[in-house]
Amino acid sequence: MAKKSAILHFGHDLVERPIISDLIRNHDVSVNILQASITPEEDGTMFVQIEGTDKAVKKAFDYLKEEGVGLIFPAKNLIWDKDKCTDCGACVAQCLVRALTVNESKKLDFDSDKCIACGLCIPACPYHALESVTDHLS
Amino acid sequence: MSKTYEEINDKIKKGKAVVVTAEEVIGIVRQKGAKKAAREIDVVTTGTFAPMCSSGALINTGHTKPKMNFKQAWLNRVPAYCGIAAVDLYIGATSIPEDDPANKVFPGRFVYGGGHVIEDLIAGKEIIFEAQSYGTQCYPRKELLAKIRMADLNSATLLNPRNAYQNYNVAVNARAKHPIYTYMGILRPNMGNINYCSAGELSPLLNDPNYRTIGIGTRIFFGGGTGYVFYPGTQHDPDTKRNEKGVPMGGAGTLALVGDMKEMDSRFVRGVSMTGYGVSLAVGIGVPIPVLDEDVIISCAVCDADILAPVWDYSDDYPEFKGKPLAYVSYAELKSGKVKLQGKEIETASLSSMPMAREIAGKLKKWIADGKFLITKPSAPLPGMGSGVKFHPFVERAVKKRKIIL
Repeated sequence: MAKKSAILHFGHDLVERPIISDLIRNHDVSVNILQASITPEEDGTMFVQIEGTDKAVKKAFDYLKEEGVGLIFPAKNLIWDKDKCTDCGACVAQCLVRALTVNESKKLDFDSDKCIACGLCIPACPYHALESVTDHLS
Repeated sequence: MSKTYEEINDKIKKGKAVVVTAEEVIGIVRQKGAKKAAREIDVVTTGTFAPMCSSGALINTGHTKPKMNFKQAWLNRVPAYCGIAAVDLYIGATSIPEDDPANKVFPGRFVYGGGHVIEDLIAGKEIIFEAQSYGTQCYPRKELLAKIRMADLNSATLLNPRNAYQNYNVAVNARAKHPIYTYMGILRPNMGNINYCSAGELSPLLNDPNYRTIGIGTRIFFGGGTGYVFYPGTQHDPDTKRNEKGVPMGGAGTLALVGDMKEMDSRFVRGVSMTGYGVSLAVGIGVPIPVLDEDVIISCAVCDADILAPVWDYSDDYPEFKGKPLAYVSYAELKSGKVKLQGKEIETASLSSMPMAREIAGKLKKWIADGKFLITKPSAPLPGMGSGVKFHPFVERAVKKRKIIL
């Protein structure tokens, strides 16, 4: 069994389609909606946990991707945007639990199991590559 | 044995030049010796990617109809300097919107400023442009509000008065009882962390300590395109104390750089937000070093263990412009992740990205090996040691109070 959290972005062309309902019906997963903000004709976001067999969860995310739903996978309460990250390492000294570390090749590693979502790393990033899920959804 | 710039360029044009990065050259010189390495290698490429203020964009928008002489202008609400000519303006990397709360609620986040405008322009994004003027008979228009983008600008030049610092300070918070927010990042109390900002052995000027091949006119990798060194950078300070290997033990030489923004890639030009400090810009810079002889390659083989940087207390000594470095530490120690200082093991953090610096040195290496990038002989050297060029402090002379005559 697998359980995966994700932030789903629905473009304005997607918000009027029953995507979550199709997801549950066709892929045999349960969806726990933790937060949602979707209004007709506007872009929407939803924070969900999708649970099912490993295969079902994988297929569920493949389906969302195919439908054009934007996907962000936060680890606990932290989003690490790898496109914005330059691997400088300015954040690592703020991470007291060593969830953020610089590896042998000087690239940033993030161990979500160690993260306690304290948020100390967020203001230390010069490139806005670290963000809390709460801030992202608001 | 020595090679000339022309001989090296002939090899580059034929696709036969041997090019290695400043990291790769260290092992080669160790293994083969400087003499053999100098014979075999033609060019060494360097790279650096880190926040560096003293950067900005010189933009000429082209003329509006009717014409206008910009006196005040804003790009995405970030003010630009207009005291140049009718439609010339300069947007500095550290400029922030007039209504930004700055540090009124401390520490300010400085979400968007000049550096971000520059990144957005290069990324091809639309920018809201506002301008005002008093109007003249030849330039009658007084107001403008329009969307602009890079493709429509008459010209856009990245014109950075000071980049690519040859070595730099290392920062700690030794005396404040609370975290301090600096341009060197967030420094936790009791020397909770130690921050540095140099690519060390891969950094351009640390591979050419006496400015032998890097000079005015040197063609470089600049923000993903090509650029040039146009002058010594502001605060160029060649006489900074050096170690026995001739490597400066602190901020020394700097470069003034110029390049066409239209050629650049926003991957290598990024707006920077330093919490509690302000905005800035990180630019990718790569400088090729032609291996003219053995001495050049010996300098290029400098390694992190040989480069020492001064540790300054940013909670007191640095801002008050007093005291002396607490210690000197090597980049080998800094890059290991931990430094021992005053009996305490302190975690290090870098503001300079090694993976990006490697990517830049690697890209420049490929450009040269593929015959797409030729090296240049400087048209004039940068001021060197003993030239008399110094970075000296502000000379603050008091103004006499005058009686106000009514």
